[in-house]
Amino acid sequence: MVLYDSATLGGSCSGSSSSSSSSKPPPLQQRQQTQQDIDGLLAGAGYRVRSSELRKVAQRLERLETAMVNSPADLSQLASDTIHYNPSDLASWVDSLLSEFTQPPTCPSEFIMDPETNQTVVSDAWTTAEPHMPQVHQNISYQQQSLNNQLTVDNQLTVVTAMEEDSGIRLVHMLMTCAECVQRGDFSLATSCLEDMQGLLTRVNTVCGIGKVAGHFIDALSRRIFQGIGGGSINGGSAYENEILYHHFYEACPYLKFAHFTANQAILEAFDGHDCVHVVDFNLMHGLQWPALIQALALRPGGPPLLRLTGIGPPSPDGRDSLREIGLRLAELARSVNVRFAFRGVAASRLEDVKPWMLQVNPKESVAVNSIMQLHRLLGSDLNRNSPIETVLSWIRSLNPKIMTVVEQEANHNQPGFLDRFTEALHYYSTMFDSLEACTVQPNKALAEIYIQREIANVVSCEGSARVERHEPLSKWRTRLSGAGFRPLHLGSNAYKQASMLLTLFSAEGYSVEENDGCLTLGWHSRPLIAASAWQAVSDGPADFPA
Amino acid sequence: MARSNEVNLNECKMVVPLNTWVLISNFKLAYNLLRRPDGTFNRHLAEFLDRKVPANANPVDGVFSFDVLIDRGTSLLSRIYRPTTAEEPQLNIAELEKPVMAAVVPVIIFFHGGSFAHSSANSAIYDTLCRRLVSLCKAVVVSVNYRRAPENRYPCAYDDGWTALKWVNSRPWLQSQKDSKVHIYLAGDSSGGNIAHHVALRAIESGIDVLGNILLNPMFGGQERTESEKRLDGKYFVTLRDRDWYWRAYLPEGEDRDHLACNPFGPNGRSLEGIKFPKSLVVVAGLDLIQDWQLAYVEGLKKAGQEVKLLYMEQATIGFYLLPNNNHFHTVMDEISKFVSSDC
Repeated sequence: MVLYDSATLGGSCSGSSSSSSSSKPPPLQQRQQTQQDIDGLLAGAGYRVRSSELRKVAQRLERLETAMVNSPADLSQLASDTIHYNPSDLASWVDSLLSEFTQPPTCPSEFIMDPETNQTVVSDAWTTAEPHMPQVHQNISYQQQSLNNQLTVDNQLTVVTAMEEDSGIRLVHMLMTCAECVQRGDFSLATSCLEDMQGLLTRVNTVCGIGKVAGHFIDALSRRIFQGIGGGSINGGSAYENEILYHHFYEACPYLKFAHFTANQAILEAFDGHDCVHVVDFNLMHGLQWPALIQALALRPGGPPLLRLTGIGPPSPDGRDSLREIGLRLAELARSVNVRFAFRGVAASRLEDVKPWMLQVNPKESVAVNSIMQLHRLLGSDLNRNSPIETVLSWIRSLNPKIMTVVEQEANHNQPGFLDRFTEALHYYSTMFDSLEACTVQPNKALAEIYIQREIANVVSCEGSARVERHEPLSKWRTRLSGAGFRPLHLGSNAYKQASMLLTLFSAEGYSVEENDGCLTLGWHSRPLIAASAWQAVSDGPADFPA
Repeated sequence: MARSNEVNLNECKMVVPLNTWVLISNFKLAYNLLRRPDGTFNRHLAEFLDRKVPANANPVDGVFSFDVLIDRGTSLLSRIYRPTTAEEPQLNIAELEKPVMAAVVPVIIFFHGGSFAHSSANSAIYDTLCRRLVSLCKAVVVSVNYRRAPENRYPCAYDDGWTALKWVNSRPWLQSQKDSKVHIYLAGDSSGGNIAHHVALRAIESGIDVLGNILLNPMFGGQERTESEKRLDGKYFVTLRDRDWYWRAYLPEGEDRDHLACNPFGPNGRSLEGIKFPKSLVVVAGLDLIQDWQLAYVEGLKKAGQEVKLLYMEQATIGFYLLPNNNHFHTVMDEISKFVSSDC
């Protein structure tokens, strides 16, 4: 059974629209029709089928129905065990289900006939069983890891939605006006706007809702107007401070947990059958992501591989080697579960300062590159040379990783126009703050808010190299990564289910996981806020297909 | 068995366009995977497979949308769709709930279909349908993301519909300029049609005026097996077995299909004689196996002296209104538009 659906869509790089609410893509149907003869009406229903293939898909659907009717036992297996991928690509979804029916029946012994080669193979029994195992371990390890159980849903919460407060609406109006003034360069008018807004803030509930998030935007605008766009104190927080804030953000809401377990599941699957594996983490922080992976690898059928972890992080100013300390702790954990483990820290203040030779990748190992909210920091372009993103993507590709896991904020915060960016950020962070209301445990919540506040300040008050929070939506990352020589590895229904289940364990109601063209997003109600995807380098040489 | 299946598949291929056939067959097969024989539902797989679209505050073809949490306790979301006015192509976050400007603006509260178990307000097919309703009727559409079976049985869906009705009725920004009242219509397809009826019932003594009900292939049933059910079982995408499954999933445990939720004019139903019930537009597809129940519903309304218009689309199957590629679609859309505008 193929573990990944590695079908790509050829030239098409846009998925079903998960674009943020204030961006303006051309209507989905129009764009795709011109590209590829896609049936426009089915596109409106969320399915991509070439008009020229409609008949073929119809025939396959018929065959599938007949197969389902004729073998109910297979049907129930199809319903419970099969991993589904990328339902938007209807043709390949139907084909993948059909292929489940043409497999020979499972034999009691471990040996079955491989239909392609007509040889007996051992692996199939294990591959069907395997996807269940990491799920169990992911659950266990997260329960162990979780320091607080922060899931009290406060049903008495009478937070009034933004729009029901008149002052809230006025505040938003003024924020937009102020942002407009800033875009126009009319700083004196902007300043008087600011004063009015400060005044209005005193009359609005700033504990929650629009009042809270407006306060942060007012601050950010203030900074921009009075302190300029160089970042200053916003970006000057020490690495240590940043780690603390990050940790509280990790605890207070599920976004980072989702990022970690989705990436880990994909990495685990990519490493299946490999004995020497090397994970490169673009932002180690406290290494929160890795205990779960170490435990899952410890328990994989056939035994754990040799695991190397290279953690990239900022240098510690006070002489401590914080990277090494984290590495030591992870090594202890690995030892306790009998996983041969080696750690290496790479200190770099910016990701673009890292050179591939620093990672000391061994040609015999399988590499996973893990980037949790780091790639967007490379999007600032310097007129003198290549955009850092291109340089970095290029050396990642040269490592020929088995998988690259990418998690990014699902937002369009890198638009050149200030007002557009501001509007988008207001939408995005209002939603994120709303979702944070579901967390009532302190001090996690308060510190998580500061973490988010810093992001807001960077998006709104910085420019040039100081502006590092250059979030772009999934659709743009797809284009960029495909253009840089990567192809998507689709995340399937097993990852989806695991994410949904873990969410109910860890979070209040309101969070939702969605499948988007082979990627998974996590959002608050129906607004995706973070997107996880997996990629593999397209090889230049002779065909080098995954197992 | 295989042979009669061939016949079935061939029959329905002849009456719908190919892309419609692909769409509805895809749903049928996917749904087969989700319903478990023990009455439970594979919700994770259902959500994974459902094609969803986000709201879009930027107008697309003259319609923009945004989501609102109308009841935090039940996480009841609704997606609001509004037409853009000519002067303001781009609205900012503060203007999403700006007051409707015309003398009369119909507000259609829409309940999506899915036999009480499938789909959501943000399912692509329903997002598309609601957008069409906005353009067609120059209306605001409020699509309710009601709780679904089997996790939430009767009366949850009706409760959510009722909550939405009260919410809509109390929004100042939805009031028509002419009389400062919200001009409300209830609409829905399949289970949504059933919900529309029951929410209208609840509205009766409440003082909230519902101007009209639009029921598209509404989901009704009963214990008895009717002629149409026997004749059309399995012929046009739908089987009696799956209908039974969905009722068992929605109705309270132990109840049969003569429960008033399923059979409003049946033995446990309530007579609407003398009651001020909204006028109804009921669309019945001639190839829908439950049409006898839908027609009985229309008769029930007529006998109680209620105003009802029946649109019987002979050659239509379920889901014909999802894609604008057939005559039934256009006929029905015209009628809906007339139904809603007749109050202006």
